[in-house]
Amino acid sequence: MSNPRRTLGLLGVLALTISACSSGGSASSAPASAAPSAAPSAAASAPASAAAEPVTIDWWHIATGDPGKADFAAIAKAYEAAHPNVKIKITVTENEAFKTKLSATPADAYPDLFQSWGGGTMAAQADAGLLQDITAAVAPWKDTVNAGAMSIYQYKGVQYGIPWDMGMIGFWYNKDLFTKAGITSPPKTWDEYLAALPKLKAAGVAPLAIAGKDKWPSMHLWSYLLLRNGGGDALSQMIQTGDWNTDACTKAGQAVLALNALDPYQKGYASADYNSEAASVGNGKAAMELMGQWAPSVQKDQSIGKKGLGDKLGWFAFPTVTGGAGAATDGIGGGNGIAVSKNAPPEAIDFLQFFMSKENQNKLNTDGVGLSTTVGTETTVTDPNLQQVLAGRGAATFMQLYLDQATSGPLAAAFNDATVALFLGKSTPEKACQALTDAAKK
Amino acid sequence: MTTGASTKVSAEPTAVMAVARTKGARRTISGTAAYVVLLAVAAAILLPILYAVLGGFKDNGQLAGNPVALIPDPWVFDNYANVLWGENAPAFWGELFNSVIVAIVAVGITVGCASAAAFVFARIRFRGREAMYTLFVFGLLFPTAVAILPLYVLIRQLGLSGNLLGVALPQAAFGLPLSIVILRPFFRSIPMELEDAARIDGCGSFGFFWRVLLPLSRPALATVSVLAIVTTWNAFILPLVVLNSEDQWTLPLGVMNFASTYSSDAARTLAFTVVSLIPALVFYVIAERHIVGGLTAGSVKG
Amino acid sequence: MFRSQGRESSSGPRLPGKWLTISLFLAPALVVYLVFVIIPIIQAAHFSLYKWNGLGPLEDFIGLANYQVALASEVFWQAVGNNVLVIVLSLLLQIPFSLGLAILLNRRFPGRAIFRLLFFVPYVLSEAITGIVFSLLLQPDALVDSGLKGIGLEGLIQDWLGNTDIVMLTLFVIISWKYFGFHMILLLAGLQGIPREIEEAALIDGAGRRQAFRYVTLPLIGPTLRVSVFLSVIGALQLFDLVWVMTGGGPLTATTTMAVNMFKSGFEEQQMGYGSALAVLLFLCALVVALLYQRFVLRRDIDGAVTAYNG
Repeated sequence: MSNPRRTLGLLGVLALTISACSSGGSASSAPASAAPSAAPSAAASAPASAAAEPVTIDWWHIATGDPGKADFAAIAKAYEAAHPNVKIKITVTENEAFKTKLSATPADAYPDLFQSWGGGTMAAQADAGLLQDITAAVAPWKDTVNAGAMSIYQYKGVQYGIPWDMGMIGFWYNKDLFTKAGITSPPKTWDEYLAALPKLKAAGVAPLAIAGKDKWPSMHLWSYLLLRNGGGDALSQMIQTGDWNTDACTKAGQAVLALNALDPYQKGYASADYNSEAASVGNGKAAMELMGQWAPSVQKDQSIGKKGLGDKLGWFAFPTVTGGAGAATDGIGGGNGIAVSKNAPPEAIDFLQFFMSKENQNKLNTDGVGLSTTVGTETTVTDPNLQQVLAGRGAATFMQLYLDQATSGPLAAAFNDATVALFLGKSTPEKACQALTDAAKK
Repeated sequence: MTTGASTKVSAEPTAVMAVARTKGARRTISGTAAYVVLLAVAAAILLPILYAVLGGFKDNGQLAGNPVALIPDPWVFDNYANVLWGENAPAFWGELFNSVIVAIVAVGITVGCASAAAFVFARIRFRGREAMYTLFVFGLLFPTAVAILPLYVLIRQLGLSGNLLGVALPQAAFGLPLSIVILRPFFRSIPMELEDAARIDGCGSFGFFWRVLLPLSRPALATVSVLAIVTTWNAFILPLVVLNSEDQWTLPLGVMNFASTYSSDAARTLAFTVVSLIPALVFYVIAERHIVGGLTAGSVKG
Repeated sequence: MFRSQGRESSSGPRLPGKWLTISLFLAPALVVYLVFVIIPIIQAAHFSLYKWNGLGPLEDFIGLANYQVALASEVFWQAVGNNVLVIVLSLLLQIPFSLGLAILLNRRFPGRAIFRLLFFVPYVLSEAITGIVFSLLLQPDALVDSGLKGIGLEGLIQDWLGNTDIVMLTLFVIISWKYFGFHMILLLAGLQGIPREIEEAALIDGAGRRQAFRYVTLPLIGPTLRVSVFLSVIGALQLFDLVWVMTGGGPLTATTTMAVNMFKSGFEEQQMGYGSALAVLLFLCALVVALLYQRFVLRRDIDGAVTAYNG
């Protein structure tokens, strides 16, 4: 029989220990920024002198896996070595967990630098006064970063963050399976694409893998159909006005239904998550998926023996829609960036410049962490498929950020919900467009 | 096996019950039938658990590409190895330590405060008792996820952000309603004679509480401890929001290391979570002996 | 334990200040609870009166508009329906099953400890791992489907997680798998409080096994059973973690429960005001259930005039 007194005593000691141990922790969690000292422009490039006061920069990012996590840590360490008075405190959380964590963070606890996808969420943060206007601070070096990507991190003309990774969504396909099905070259138009699907089915594979549970892979497909049918300007207009009951939207929905009618998806697509979609392609069970630049590494990771498709993997841009207003060079893409919060010290922006240096970004490229946006780093991307993606990004006449990130709130969620309903055959084009319009109003 | 169970209230095959009614042979047959039922249920429970445990010995490709197979082929020892002593080990053991601290503090506070409160609710009549009890029941009724935002603001104001206590204290608070609700009927069932006897021996309320009630309520206390530990052990959102640095993470947060932006390492996650649940299970095994330890027969006779 | 009347001391010279005792015993729980539970809840309820995306200051006061929207929303009522379904099924299937197992495990027999451990493991598993495992098991052509084929029940195979008509039922099975250990342990503790002598006495007196169960055992674990039912209903109303991990409320809204709806609106769609309103509505549903339950069912435990034997 346990001795209650002893247990109580033990608990007491433990409580003391914890408060003693943790008091160090709570101190370091206090708002990290020192009061910004000199004018922001002065901090732009000069390394702080050894006599400068200590500064802590809180950086929240989502690279939970290596090499990204290790690379980021190394960059931070290098900066700290060059600036002994600066300490960079990194918090790494997984993507979805990050969003939840940030949602629960009050304004005065916002980290100095944090993961951002630009677009609507960033706009909402700016509207709430959470972000810092870094337009002037980055002006001296902003031309070292891809302009199109930079614009995604602007809102109402003000720069709020820096992109370090930007890619484009396209079709990743199994070259061998295409050959087996008698398809000699990737389809250029949507009609050609639809014609290819039965051939693939006849060859015994699922032509296209999607993920009904995660919703966003198929949402990208619908988005491209919308873009190809309506064109970039119309799309921007729809986002601006919130009126999705447009011709282009209906046409996109109809195209999805036509696609459904061919029954091209992998078995179990309705409840499949993205892991399983990637595995289908990586294991050769499905011939294609429409995905972003991370596709090869995920396929590899999820496939048997972690082999992936190797050089059987190819890439082609989304086909054009004959009679549609969109151009072949319009793209849908996105990536990762870092936003700067209101009270971040100038050193944080200085660190960003260091982060974006060619040397650091080349490393991220070669390690496959992302497709860097720093001008001049394109050459370090050696994978032929990724080179195609880069080329597409470079040639893009119009680049739309993923719709569920370009917008925020109910509308962002509605894109995923409304479009997956189309793919699951549970909605009509008109209903889907109406759902979007309704969500935009909320 | 002595007296086999007489009935299971619902789906018991009537054949068994019919047999059970005849004397003599009844005991062995219904006993065996009960055993068969138990084994069947155990198999149904075991299968997914086994899948989880063995899943840690596969790699992602096997899990996704060959979902039928229970047995890994080939056996991949990397996942468990990395978690226990390999590259993920420092994180794992650190998180384990943090989880243990939080669990001990939270459960200690919960059980301590809850038993005191339940004692009052169960055995002392006072005005406003039911109202106050209902106030505690409120805590069971409100979904905590939505209270996270104001809760976190509060935790920061108390200076507990980034501190394991900032996780343990709210966790303890959330565990109170359930514990009180469970303990109250148990505390009620202690007969008044015992309390009177204790009083006669010179115990005040506290003495009765400490020396008679609590020891007699071991099954209930053990039950409540186990339930509180499990909740705290698996809590994710609160530690996610409160803790910033990885060396303060508790075990559920450690899983994040295996999930990246788009995909996750399911096999490694399985290995990690299977190992994570061992301490909680160990605690259950220990506590369980108190739950089913049998009561002190003879405390009140006739 | 025998039940006897008058288990409460309402006053008496032997208690040095009844209120002092009450205060000392209640204070710790009350303080911790008020600070970390009640205050955040009240604040969250306060959010429900605003249109607010969670960022920036609380400015846009809209009164009860969020509630009006919620009550008119199709998704809301679908969620309510899902919760009701789970409640009904839990009461009809889960509780009796847990009780049965608790009774079986109450006896001494070799290997009892192992069974008790095994049956409790699902409850200890975190939602994450449960989600992963069952997602893998329920994929088309995975273990469950193959198993059914193997025993010749191929006709029963469905798209367990993709078919919007049955996905909620699939989830109910998984929920039951995970939580029956919780009820089992609770009922087991309750059963432990019944001395064997009482049941043996009834049998000696000529009662059949079923009668012994119905008139002796069942009333004696009545309080525990009623708590178990209460927690089951409340738990079914609050259902979130497992659903979120397995289906995210989908496909579409087929498995959206009230709590899933609340989390999605609040955190995903960043309508914290609306999400808070949904939380309050959920709370009110649970409160009504709790109050009714307390008044009509638990009252006998509170008044405590139940004796062990009926006739």
